[in-house]
Amino acid sequence: MNINDGADAPYWNGLADGVLLLPRCGGCGEWLWPALSRCGTCGSEEIQWTERAMAGTIFSWTRTWHRFGFTESLDLPFVSIVATVDDCGIRLLGRLDDPDQIDPLIGEAITGRIGATRVEGRDIPTIIWSRG
Amino acid sequence: MHPLYGTTAVAGIGMRQYRRGASPLPEQGVLAEAIRAACADAGFDPAEVDGFVSYGDDKNEPVRLMPALGTRELKWSSVVWGGGGGGVAGAFGLAAAAILSGQASAVVIFRALVEGSSGRLSAAVMAHHLNDHMLAAGIVAPAQVCAIRANRMYEHHGVPRSVAEELVRASYYHGSRNPEAVAYGTELDLEEMRSSRWIAEPFRLFDCSRENDGAAAFLMVSAARARDLKKPPVYLLGCANGAEKGWGDLLENDDEALYPTAGFRPIARRLYAETDLSPADIDVVQLYENFSAQGVASLIDHGFCTYENVAEVVRFDNLIAPTGTLPVNTGGGNFAQGFIHGIGTAYEAVKQLRGESANPVPGARTCLLAGGPGAPTVSSAIFGNEVP
Repeated sequence: MNINDGADAPYWNGLADGVLLLPRCGGCGEWLWPALSRCGTCGSEEIQWTERAMAGTIFSWTRTWHRFGFTESLDLPFVSIVATVDDCGIRLLGRLDDPDQIDPLIGEAITGRIGATRVEGRDIPTIIWSRG
Repeated sequence: MHPLYGTTAVAGIGMRQYRRGASPLPEQGVLAEAIRAACADAGFDPAEVDGFVSYGDDKNEPVRLMPALGTRELKWSSVVWGGGGGGVAGAFGLAAAAILSGQASAVVIFRALVEGSSGRLSAAVMAHHLNDHMLAAGIVAPAQVCAIRANRMYEHHGVPRSVAEELVRASYYHGSRNPEAVAYGTELDLEEMRSSRWIAEPFRLFDCSRENDGAAAFLMVSAARARDLKKPPVYLLGCANGAEKGWGDLLENDDEALYPTAGFRPIARRLYAETDLSPADIDVVQLYENFSAQGVASLIDHGFCTYENVAEVVRFDNLIAPTGTLPVNTGGGNFAQGFIHGIGTAYEAVKQLRGESANPVPGARTCLLAGGPGAPTVSSAIFGNEVP
Protein backbone atom coordinates (compact mmCIF):
# COMPACT_ATOMS: atom_id res chain seq x y z
CA MET A 1 0.00 0.00 0.00
CA ASN A 2 2.97 2.35 0.35
CA ILE A 3 2.91 4.70 -2.58
CA ASN A 4 6.57 4.69 -3.53
CA ASP A 5 7.90 1.18 -3.17
CA GLY A 6 6.12 -0.74 -5.93
CA ALA A 7 6.83 -1.26 -9.61
CA ASP A 8 4.63 1.78 -10.25
CA ALA A 9 6.69 4.17 -8.09
CA PRO A 10 7.82 6.23 -11.13
CA TYR A 11 4.16 6.83 -12.00
CA TRP A 12 3.45 8.29 -8.56
CA ASN A 13 6.68 10.28 -8.51
CA GLY A 14 5.82 11.60 -11.98
CA LEU A 15 2.41 12.83 -10.85
CA ALA A 16 4.06 14.51 -7.86
CA ASP A 17 6.33 16.30 -10.37
CA GLY A 18 3.37 17.29 -12.56
CA VAL A 19 3.79 14.79 -15.41
CA LEU A 20 2.13 11.54 -16.47
CA LEU A 21 4.76 8.82 -16.88
CA LEU A 22 3.72 5.38 -18.08
CA PRO A 23 5.83 2.23 -18.50
CA ARG A 24 6.78 0.70 -21.82
CA CYS A 25 8.89 -2.37 -22.49
CA GLY A 26 12.31 -1.49 -23.87
CA GLY A 27 12.45 -4.85 -25.61
CA CYS A 28 9.21 -5.18 -27.56
CA GLY A 29 7.65 -1.75 -27.08
CA GLU A 30 4.51 -3.04 -25.38
CA TRP A 31 2.85 -0.72 -22.85
CA LEU A 32 2.77 -2.44 -19.48
CA TRP A 33 -0.01 -1.75 -16.99
CA PRO A 34 -0.27 -2.61 -14.14
CA ALA A 35 3.43 -1.74 -13.91
CA LEU A 36 5.86 -4.67 -13.89
CA SER A 37 9.53 -5.24 -13.32
CA ARG A 38 9.73 -7.60 -16.29
CA CYS A 39 7.80 -7.81 -19.57
CA GLY A 40 5.81 -11.05 -19.64
CA THR A 41 5.64 -10.95 -23.44
CA CYS A 42 9.34 -10.75 -24.36
CA GLY A 43 11.12 -11.17 -21.03
CA SER A 44 12.96 -7.86 -21.14
CA GLU A 45 13.67 -6.18 -17.82
CA GLU A 46 14.24 -2.79 -19.43
CA ILE A 47 11.26 -0.62 -18.50
CA GLN A 48 11.10 2.77 -20.20
CA TRP A 49 8.99 5.32 -18.32
CA THR A 50 7.57 7.54 -21.04
CA GLU A 51 5.69 10.82 -20.71
CA ARG A 52 2.16 10.92 -22.17
CA ALA A 53 -0.25 13.82 -22.47
CA MET A 54 -3.15 13.81 -20.00
CA ALA A 55 -5.60 13.27 -22.84
CA GLY A 56 -7.85 10.30 -23.40
CA THR A 57 -11.34 8.89 -23.70
CA ILE A 58 -13.88 7.53 -21.23
CA PHE A 59 -13.85 3.73 -21.15
CA SER A 60 -16.47 3.39 -18.41
CA TRP A 61 -17.77 5.21 -15.35
CA THR A 62 -19.89 5.18 -12.20
CA ARG A 63 -21.44 7.95 -10.12
CA THR A 64 -21.26 7.18 -6.39
CA TRP A 65 -24.05 8.37 -4.09
CA HIS A 66 -23.45 6.20 -1.03
CA ARG A 67 -20.92 7.32 1.57
CA PHE A 68 -18.35 4.53 1.58
CA GLY A 69 -15.47 4.57 4.06
CA PHE A 70 -12.25 6.20 2.68
CA THR A 71 -14.27 8.60 0.47
CA GLU A 72 -14.93 11.15 3.24
CA SER A 73 -12.96 13.89 1.45
CA LEU A 74 -15.11 13.68 -1.69
CA ASP A 75 -18.45 15.51 -2.03
CA LEU A 76 -21.35 13.24 -2.94
CA PRO A 77 -22.16 12.35 -5.61
CA PHE A 78 -18.84 11.97 -7.39
CA VAL A 79 -17.95 10.35 -10.71
CA SER A 80 -15.17 7.79 -11.01
CA ILE A 81 -13.99 6.75 -14.44
CA VAL A 82 -11.73 4.39 -16.27
CA ALA A 83 -9.88 6.56 -18.80
CA THR A 84 -8.08 5.22 -21.87
CA VAL A 85 -4.95 7.34 -22.28
CA ASP A 86 -4.28 8.53 -25.85
CA ASP A 87 -1.25 7.16 -27.72
CA CYS A 88 -0.71 4.10 -25.52
CA GLY A 89 -4.07 2.49 -24.69
CA ILE A 90 -3.33 2.13 -20.98
CA ARG A 91 -6.46 2.54 -18.86
CA LEU A 92 -6.22 4.57 -15.66
CA LEU A 93 -8.64 4.90 -12.78
CA GLY A 94 -9.49 8.50 -12.07
CA ARG A 95 -12.19 11.02 -11.24
CA LEU A 96 -14.22 13.21 -13.58
CA ASP A 97 -15.48 16.73 -12.91
CA ASP A 98 -19.26 16.47 -12.76
CA PRO A 99 -20.60 19.99 -12.18
CA ASP A 100 -23.92 19.46 -13.97
CA GLN A 101 -24.43 15.72 -13.31
CA ILE A 102 -24.53 14.96 -17.01
CA ASP A 103 -23.94 11.25 -17.54
CA PRO A 104 -20.55 10.57 -19.12
CA LEU A 105 -20.52 8.86 -22.51
CA ILE A 106 -18.23 5.97 -23.34
CA GLY A 107 -15.70 7.17 -25.89
CA GLU A 108 -16.06 10.85 -24.92
CA ALA A 109 -12.81 12.85 -25.16
CA ILE A 110 -11.39 14.07 -21.85
CA THR A 111 -8.37 16.00 -20.61
CA GLY A 112 -6.74 15.69 -17.22
CA ARG A 113 -5.02 17.84 -14.65
CA ILE A 114 -3.19 16.72 -11.54
CA GLY A 115 -4.94 17.15 -8.22
CA ALA A 116 -5.05 15.10 -5.07
CA THR A 117 -7.38 12.88 -3.08
CA ARG A 118 -7.19 12.99 0.69
CA VAL A 119 -7.52 9.55 2.29
CA GLU A 120 -6.84 8.90 5.98
CA GLY A 121 -4.69 12.00 6.29
CA ARG A 122 -2.69 11.29 3.11
CA ASP A 123 -2.85 13.24 -0.15
CA ILE A 124 -2.72 10.81 -3.07
CA PRO A 125 -1.83 12.47 -6.40
CA THR A 126 -4.83 12.05 -8.69
CA ILE A 127 -5.61 12.84 -12.30
CA ILE A 128 -8.87 14.79 -12.35
CA TRP A 129 -10.42 14.60 -15.79
CA SER A 130 -12.89 16.91 -17.49
CA ARG A 131 -14.78 16.78 -20.75
CA GLY A 132 -13.37 18.29 -23.92
CA MET B 1 -14.50 -39.44 -18.78
CA HIS B 2 -13.00 -36.73 -16.58
CA PRO B 3 -11.89 -37.98 -13.11
CA LEU B 4 -14.29 -35.56 -11.35
CA TYR B 5 -17.34 -36.82 -13.23
CA GLY B 6 -19.73 -38.37 -10.71
CA THR B 7 -16.97 -39.75 -8.46
CA THR B 8 -17.73 -37.70 -5.33
CA ALA B 9 -20.98 -36.49 -3.83
CA VAL B 10 -22.47 -34.16 -1.25
CA ALA B 11 -23.98 -36.39 1.42
CA GLY B 12 -25.13 -33.85 3.98
CA ILE B 13 -25.88 -30.14 4.31
CA GLY B 14 -26.39 -27.76 7.22
CA MET B 15 -27.05 -24.04 7.46
CA ARG B 16 -27.63 -21.46 10.18
CA GLN B 17 -28.59 -17.95 9.07
CA TYR B 18 -29.49 -14.75 10.93
CA ARG B 19 -29.85 -11.06 10.26
CA ARG B 20 -26.53 -9.25 10.06
CA GLY B 21 -25.32 -8.57 13.58
CA ALA B 22 -27.96 -10.88 15.10
CA SER B 23 -26.08 -14.18 15.42
CA PRO B 24 -26.70 -15.73 18.86
CA LEU B 25 -23.23 -17.30 18.80
CA PRO B 26 -19.76 -16.19 17.75
CA GLU B 27 -18.64 -17.24 14.28
CA GLN B 28 -16.90 -20.45 15.27
CA GLY B 29 -19.90 -21.57 17.33
CA VAL B 30 -22.35 -21.01 14.46
CA LEU B 31 -20.01 -22.84 12.11
CA ALA B 32 -19.66 -25.85 14.41
CA GLU B 33 -23.47 -26.04 14.59
CA ALA B 34 -23.76 -25.97 10.79
CA ILE B 35 -21.13 -28.70 10.41
CA ARG B 36 -22.84 -30.91 13.02
CA ALA B 37 -26.14 -30.34 11.20
CA ALA B 38 -24.58 -31.40 7.88
CA CYS B 39 -23.22 -34.57 9.49
CA ALA B 40 -26.57 -35.35 11.16
CA ASP B 41 -28.28 -34.81 7.81
CA ALA B 42 -26.08 -37.56 6.35
CA GLY B 43 -26.17 -39.80 9.45
CA PHE B 44 -22.41 -39.38 9.73
CA ASP B 45 -20.26 -39.10 12.87
CA PRO B 46 -18.68 -35.61 12.83
CA ALA B 47 -15.58 -37.04 14.54
CA GLU B 48 -14.91 -38.94 11.29
CA VAL B 49 -14.58 -35.76 9.20
CA ASP B 50 -10.91 -35.58 8.23
CA GLY B 51 -10.77 -32.64 5.82
CA PHE B 52 -12.01 -29.06 5.49
CA VAL B 53 -12.16 -26.60 2.59
CA SER B 54 -13.27 -22.98 2.48
CA TYR B 55 -12.85 -19.90 0.27
CA GLY B 56 -12.86 -16.12 0.31
CA ASP B 57 -10.90 -15.35 3.47
CA ASP B 58 -12.86 -17.44 5.92
CA LYS B 59 -11.14 -16.94 9.27
CA ASN B 60 -12.01 -20.31 10.82
CA GLU B 61 -8.82 -22.30 10.53
CA PRO B 62 -9.92 -25.95 10.51
CA VAL B 63 -7.51 -27.12 13.21
CA ARG B 64 -9.38 -24.84 15.64
CA LEU B 65 -12.67 -26.58 14.86
CA MET B 66 -11.41 -29.97 16.04
CA PRO B 67 -12.31 -29.66 19.75
CA ALA B 68 -15.92 -28.60 19.06
CA LEU B 69 -16.43 -31.39 16.53
CA GLY B 70 -14.47 -34.13 18.30
CA THR B 71 -12.37 -34.52 15.14
CA ARG B 72 -10.03 -37.49 15.52
CA GLU B 73 -7.51 -36.60 12.84
CA LEU B 74 -7.18 -33.69 10.46
CA LYS B 75 -5.71 -34.76 7.12
CA TRP B 76 -6.64 -31.96 4.72
CA SER B 77 -7.24 -28.24 5.25
CA SER B 78 -7.15 -25.89 2.30
CA VAL B 79 -8.72 -22.77 0.91
CA VAL B 80 -9.42 -21.48 -2.58
CA TRP B 81 -7.40 -18.34 -3.29
CA GLY B 82 -9.27 -15.14 -4.02
CA GLY B 83 -10.98 -12.42 -2.09
CA GLY B 84 -14.48 -12.39 -3.55
CA GLY B 85 -16.97 -15.23 -3.70
CA GLY B 86 -15.34 -16.59 -6.83
CA GLY B 87 -14.19 -19.71 -5.01
CA VAL B 88 -17.52 -21.05 -3.74
CA ALA B 89 -17.85 -23.69 -6.48
CA GLY B 90 -14.10 -24.31 -6.65
CA ALA B 91 -14.19 -25.36 -2.99
CA PHE B 92 -16.15 -28.48 -3.99
CA GLY B 93 -13.53 -29.29 -6.62
CA LEU B 94 -10.80 -28.92 -4.00
CA ALA B 95 -12.64 -31.26 -1.62
CA ALA B 96 -13.09 -33.78 -4.44
CA ALA B 97 -9.36 -33.55 -5.21
CA ALA B 98 -8.57 -34.48 -1.61
CA ILE B 99 -10.95 -37.45 -1.67
CA LEU B 100 -10.02 -38.77 -5.13
CA SER B 101 -6.29 -38.56 -4.38
CA GLY B 102 -6.73 -40.45 -1.11
CA GLN B 103 -5.53 -37.56 1.05
CA ALA B 104 -8.82 -37.38 2.97
CA SER B 105 -12.07 -39.33 2.92
CA ALA B 106 -14.77 -37.10 4.43
CA VAL B 107 -14.34 -33.42 3.67
CA VAL B 108 -16.48 -30.53 4.89
CA ILE B 109 -16.84 -27.49 2.63
CA PHE B 110 -17.87 -24.46 4.69
CA ARG B 111 -18.21 -20.70 4.87
CA ALA B 112 -19.02 -18.73 8.00
CA LEU B 113 -19.64 -15.04 8.41
CA VAL B 114 -20.56 -13.32 11.65
CA GLU B 115 -20.01 -9.60 11.60
CA GLY B 116 -19.45 -9.31 15.34
CA SER B 117 -16.57 -11.79 15.04
CA SER B 118 -14.89 -10.93 11.77
CA GLY B 119 -16.27 -7.56 10.63
CA ARG B 120 -17.94 -6.60 7.38
CA LEU B 121 -17.40 -8.88 4.41
CA SER B 122 -17.25 -5.98 1.96
CA ALA B 123 -14.27 -4.58 3.86
CA ALA B 124 -12.55 -7.97 3.89
CA VAL B 125 -13.10 -8.37 0.15
CA MET B 126 -11.69 -4.95 -0.60
CA ALA B 127 -8.65 -5.51 1.59
CA HIS B 128 -7.49 -7.80 -1.23
CA HIS B 129 -7.74 -5.17 -3.88
CA LEU B 130 -7.47 -1.69 -2.44
CA ASN B 131 -4.52 0.33 -3.67
CA ASP B 132 -3.76 3.99 -4.22
CA HIS B 133 -5.01 3.92 -7.83
CA MET B 134 -8.44 2.94 -6.53
CA LEU B 135 -8.44 5.18 -3.46
CA ALA B 136 -7.53 8.19 -5.62
CA ALA B 137 -10.54 7.50 -7.85
CA GLY B 138 -12.86 7.06 -4.86
CA ILE B 139 -13.31 3.38 -5.78
CA VAL B 140 -13.31 1.59 -2.44
CA ALA B 141 -16.17 -0.94 -2.49
CA PRO B 142 -17.23 -3.95 -4.54
CA ALA B 143 -20.43 -2.13 -5.58
CA GLN B 144 -18.42 0.56 -7.36
CA VAL B 145 -16.03 -1.89 -9.01
CA CYS B 146 -18.96 -3.88 -10.38
CA ALA B 147 -20.91 -0.72 -11.32
CA ILE B 148 -18.16 0.43 -13.69
CA ARG B 149 -18.21 -2.96 -15.43
CA ALA B 150 -22.01 -2.92 -15.55
CA ASN B 151 -22.16 0.48 -17.25
CA ARG B 152 -19.84 -0.80 -19.96
CA MET B 153 -22.02 -3.90 -20.46
CA TYR B 154 -25.19 -1.80 -20.72
CA GLU B 155 -23.89 1.09 -22.80
CA HIS B 156 -21.21 -0.43 -25.00
CA HIS B 157 -22.48 -3.99 -25.43
CA GLY B 158 -26.15 -3.11 -25.65
CA VAL B 159 -27.51 -5.24 -22.83
CA PRO B 160 -30.84 -3.64 -21.82
CA ARG B 161 -30.83 -2.43 -18.22
CA SER B 162 -34.30 -3.87 -17.74
CA VAL B 163 -32.98 -7.46 -17.62
CA ALA B 164 -31.31 -6.83 -14.26
CA GLU B 165 -34.70 -6.17 -12.72
CA GLU B 166 -36.05 -9.46 -14.11
CA LEU B 167 -33.29 -11.35 -12.32
CA VAL B 168 -33.81 -9.49 -9.04
CA ARG B 169 -37.55 -10.15 -9.19
CA ALA B 170 -36.99 -13.88 -9.78
CA SER B 171 -34.70 -14.13 -6.74
CA TYR B 172 -37.26 -12.34 -4.54
CA TYR B 173 -40.14 -14.43 -5.91
CA HIS B 174 -38.37 -17.64 -4.91
CA GLY B 175 -37.12 -16.21 -1.61
CA SER B 176 -40.59 -15.06 -0.59
CA ARG B 177 -41.72 -18.72 -0.86
CA ASN B 178 -38.73 -20.29 0.91
CA PRO B 179 -39.17 -20.66 4.70
CA GLU B 180 -35.36 -20.62 5.11
CA ALA B 181 -34.96 -17.30 3.27
CA VAL B 182 -34.59 -13.83 4.75
CA ALA B 183 -37.30 -12.61 2.36
CA TYR B 184 -39.77 -15.37 3.31
CA GLY B 185 -43.36 -14.17 3.27
CA THR B 186 -42.61 -10.71 1.89
CA GLU B 187 -43.58 -9.81 -1.65
CA LEU B 188 -41.17 -7.52 -3.46
CA ASP B 189 -42.61 -4.04 -3.86
CA LEU B 190 -41.70 -3.07 -7.43
CA GLU B 191 -42.15 0.63 -6.80
CA GLU B 192 -39.94 0.49 -3.71
CA MET B 193 -37.28 -1.38 -5.71
CA ARG B 194 -37.35 1.06 -8.64
CA SER B 195 -37.19 4.11 -6.40
CA SER B 196 -34.66 2.75 -3.91
CA ARG B 197 -31.69 5.02 -3.33
CA TRP B 198 -28.70 5.10 -5.67
CA ILE B 199 -25.58 3.37 -4.37
CA ALA B 200 -23.27 3.66 -7.39
CA GLU B 201 -24.88 4.11 -10.80
CA PRO B 202 -26.25 1.96 -12.41
CA PHE B 203 -26.91 0.24 -9.06
CA ARG B 204 -29.68 1.13 -6.69
CA LEU B 205 -29.96 -0.53 -3.29
CA PHE B 206 -32.03 -3.40 -4.69
CA ASP B 207 -29.29 -4.26 -7.20
CA CYS B 208 -26.96 -5.10 -4.31
CA SER B 209 -26.74 -8.18 -2.11
CA ARG B 210 -26.76 -7.51 1.61
CA GLU B 211 -24.81 -9.46 4.20
CA ASN B 212 -26.16 -11.92 6.76
CA ASP B 213 -24.66 -13.65 9.76
CA GLY B 214 -24.42 -17.41 9.61
CA ALA B 215 -22.66 -20.46 8.29
CA ALA B 216 -23.28 -23.37 5.96
CA ALA B 217 -21.50 -26.70 5.67
CA PHE B 218 -21.48 -29.56 3.18
CA LEU B 219 -20.21 -33.07 3.83
CA MET B 220 -18.51 -34.52 0.77
CA VAL B 221 -17.45 -38.16 0.39
CA SER B 222 -16.79 -40.59 -2.45
CA ALA B 223 -19.82 -41.44 -4.59
CA ALA B 224 -19.82 -45.04 -3.35
CA ARG B 225 -19.74 -43.99 0.29
CA ALA B 226 -22.49 -41.41 -0.28
CA ARG B 227 -24.84 -44.13 -1.52
CA ASP B 228 -24.58 -45.83 1.91
CA LEU B 229 -25.51 -42.68 3.83
CA LYS B 230 -28.91 -41.37 4.85
CA LYS B 231 -29.73 -38.86 2.11
CA PRO B 232 -29.74 -39.32 -1.67
CA PRO B 233 -26.31 -38.37 -3.04
CA VAL B 234 -25.86 -35.17 -5.00
CA TYR B 235 -22.96 -35.95 -7.32
CA LEU B 236 -20.32 -33.48 -8.40
CA LEU B 237 -20.22 -33.85 -12.20
CA GLY B 238 -17.64 -31.17 -12.92
CA CYS B 239 -15.87 -28.16 -11.50
CA ALA B 240 -13.61 -25.48 -12.97
CA ASN B 241 -11.76 -22.66 -11.25
CA GLY B 242 -9.38 -19.98 -12.50
CA ALA B 243 -8.94 -17.14 -14.97
CA GLU B 244 -7.64 -16.61 -18.50
CA LYS B 245 -5.01 -14.27 -19.89
CA GLY B 246 -6.38 -10.75 -20.08
CA TRP B 247 -8.55 -11.06 -16.97
CA GLY B 248 -8.14 -10.41 -13.26
CA ASP B 249 -6.74 -7.71 -10.95
CA LEU B 250 -5.32 -5.68 -13.83
CA LEU B 251 -6.32 -2.18 -12.66
CA GLU B 252 -9.22 -2.25 -15.15
CA ASN B 253 -6.90 -3.17 -18.04
CA ASP B 254 -8.61 -6.45 -18.83
CA ASP B 255 -8.93 -7.51 -22.45
CA GLU B 256 -11.61 -5.29 -23.97
CA ALA B 257 -13.91 -8.19 -24.91
CA LEU B 258 -13.59 -9.73 -21.44
CA TYR B 259 -14.02 -6.45 -19.53
CA PRO B 260 -17.85 -6.48 -19.20
CA THR B 261 -18.01 -10.25 -18.54
CA ALA B 262 -18.12 -11.94 -15.16
CA GLY B 263 -14.91 -13.88 -15.87
CA PHE B 264 -16.61 -17.23 -16.52
CA ARG B 265 -15.91 -17.75 -20.21
CA PRO B 266 -12.89 -20.05 -19.71
CA ILE B 267 -14.62 -21.70 -16.75
CA ALA B 268 -17.75 -22.51 -18.76
CA ARG B 269 -15.70 -23.77 -21.72
CA ARG B 270 -13.83 -26.21 -19.46
CA LEU B 271 -16.88 -27.23 -17.45
CA TYR B 272 -18.95 -28.16 -20.50
CA ALA B 273 -16.02 -29.89 -22.23
CA GLU B 274 -15.12 -31.98 -19.18
CA THR B 275 -18.70 -33.06 -18.42
CA ASP B 276 -19.82 -33.40 -22.05
CA LEU B 277 -22.83 -31.29 -21.06
CA SER B 278 -24.08 -28.06 -22.60
CA PRO B 279 -26.29 -25.19 -21.39
CA ALA B 280 -29.29 -27.09 -22.80
CA ASP B 281 -28.56 -29.96 -20.37
CA ILE B 282 -28.74 -27.70 -17.29
CA ASP B 283 -32.13 -27.92 -15.56
CA VAL B 284 -31.65 -25.23 -12.92
CA VAL B 285 -29.05 -22.56 -12.10
CA GLN B 286 -27.89 -21.27 -8.71
CA LEU B 287 -26.21 -18.02 -9.44
CA TYR B 288 -24.13 -15.90 -7.10
CA GLU B 289 -25.42 -12.35 -7.56
CA ASN B 290 -23.26 -9.86 -5.69
CA PHE B 291 -24.91 -7.28 -7.95
CA SER B 292 -27.71 -7.64 -10.48
CA ALA B 293 -25.70 -6.87 -13.62
CA GLN B 294 -23.00 -9.36 -12.66
CA GLY B 295 -25.67 -12.06 -12.37
CA VAL B 296 -26.79 -11.27 -15.91
CA ALA B 297 -23.17 -11.31 -17.14
CA SER B 298 -22.75 -14.69 -15.49
CA LEU B 299 -25.71 -16.14 -17.44
CA ILE B 300 -24.22 -14.78 -20.67
CA ASP B 301 -20.77 -16.20 -19.86
CA HIS B 302 -22.23 -19.66 -19.21
CA GLY B 303 -23.94 -19.68 -22.61
CA PHE B 304 -27.56 -19.40 -21.48
CA CYS B 305 -28.01 -16.31 -23.63
CA THR B 306 -26.05 -13.76 -25.66
CA TYR B 307 -25.78 -9.97 -25.79
CA GLU B 308 -28.30 -10.16 -28.63
CA ASN B 309 -31.03 -12.34 -27.08
CA VAL B 310 -30.52 -11.65 -23.37
CA ALA B 311 -33.85 -9.83 -23.09
CA GLU B 312 -35.73 -12.83 -24.52
CA VAL B 313 -34.11 -15.28 -22.07
CA VAL B 314 -33.69 -13.27 -18.87
CA ARG B 315 -37.40 -12.71 -18.28
CA PHE B 316 -39.08 -13.11 -14.90
CA ASP B 317 -41.52 -15.74 -16.24
CA ASN B 318 -38.66 -17.72 -17.75
CA LEU B 319 -36.56 -17.63 -14.57
CA ILE B 320 -39.06 -18.93 -12.03
CA ALA B 321 -39.90 -22.46 -10.95
CA PRO B 322 -41.78 -24.60 -11.78
CA THR B 323 -42.66 -23.32 -15.26
CA GLY B 324 -39.66 -21.30 -16.50
CA THR B 325 -37.23 -22.92 -18.90
CA LEU B 326 -34.25 -21.41 -17.05
CA PRO B 327 -35.11 -21.51 -13.33
CA VAL B 328 -32.56 -19.37 -11.48
CA ASN B 329 -31.90 -18.99 -7.75
CA THR B 330 -34.80 -21.17 -6.64
CA GLY B 331 -33.96 -20.56 -2.97
CA GLY B 332 -33.91 -16.79 -3.41
CA GLY B 333 -30.23 -16.34 -4.20
CA ASN B 334 -27.97 -13.84 -2.45
CA PHE B 335 -30.63 -11.13 -2.77
CA ALA B 336 -33.53 -12.89 -1.07
CA GLN B 337 -32.43 -16.23 0.41
CA GLY B 338 -29.58 -14.55 2.27
CA PHE B 339 -25.93 -13.74 1.83
CA ILE B 340 -23.28 -15.66 3.71
CA HIS B 341 -20.70 -14.97 1.02
CA GLY B 342 -22.72 -16.97 -1.51
CA ILE B 343 -22.70 -20.32 0.28
CA GLY B 344 -26.53 -20.32 0.30
CA THR B 345 -26.54 -20.81 -3.47
CA ALA B 346 -24.72 -24.14 -3.05
CA TYR B 347 -27.13 -25.12 -0.25
CA GLU B 348 -30.09 -24.59 -2.59
CA ALA B 349 -28.34 -26.53 -5.40
CA VAL B 350 -28.27 -29.62 -3.18
CA LYS B 351 -31.81 -29.12 -1.85
CA GLN B 352 -33.17 -28.68 -5.38
CA LEU B 353 -31.55 -31.89 -6.64
CA ARG B 354 -32.85 -33.82 -3.61
CA GLY B 355 -36.39 -32.61 -4.28
CA GLU B 356 -36.37 -30.64 -1.01
CA SER B 357 -36.54 -27.12 -2.45
CA ALA B 358 -39.38 -24.80 -1.51
CA ASN B 359 -39.56 -24.01 -5.25
CA PRO B 360 -39.10 -27.40 -6.88
CA VAL B 361 -38.14 -27.70 -10.54
CA PRO B 362 -40.00 -30.78 -11.79
CA GLY B 363 -37.66 -33.57 -12.85
CA ALA B 364 -34.50 -31.52 -12.30
CA ARG B 365 -31.43 -33.73 -12.72
CA THR B 366 -28.63 -31.17 -13.12
CA CYS B 367 -27.86 -27.88 -11.41
CA LEU B 368 -25.15 -25.40 -12.31
CA LEU B 369 -23.58 -23.43 -9.47
CA ALA B 370 -21.77 -20.24 -10.50
CA GLY B 371 -19.39 -18.55 -8.08
CA GLY B 372 -18.91 -14.87 -7.39
CA PRO B 373 -19.01 -13.06 -10.73
CA GLY B 374 -16.41 -10.46 -11.57
CA ALA B 375 -13.85 -11.72 -9.05
CA PRO B 376 -10.31 -12.06 -10.40
CA THR B 377 -10.53 -15.84 -9.92
CA VAL B 378 -13.93 -17.45 -10.45
CA SER B 379 -15.34 -20.98 -10.43
CA SER B 380 -18.43 -22.96 -11.39
CA ALA B 381 -19.62 -26.50 -10.79
CA ILE B 382 -22.29 -28.83 -12.13
CA PHE B 383 -24.12 -31.16 -9.73
CA GLY B 384 -26.47 -34.01 -10.60
CA ASN B 385 -28.79 -36.32 -8.68
CA GLU B 386 -27.76 -39.07 -11.05
CA VAL B 387 -24.66 -39.63 -13.17
CA PRO B 388 -25.84 -39.19 -16.77
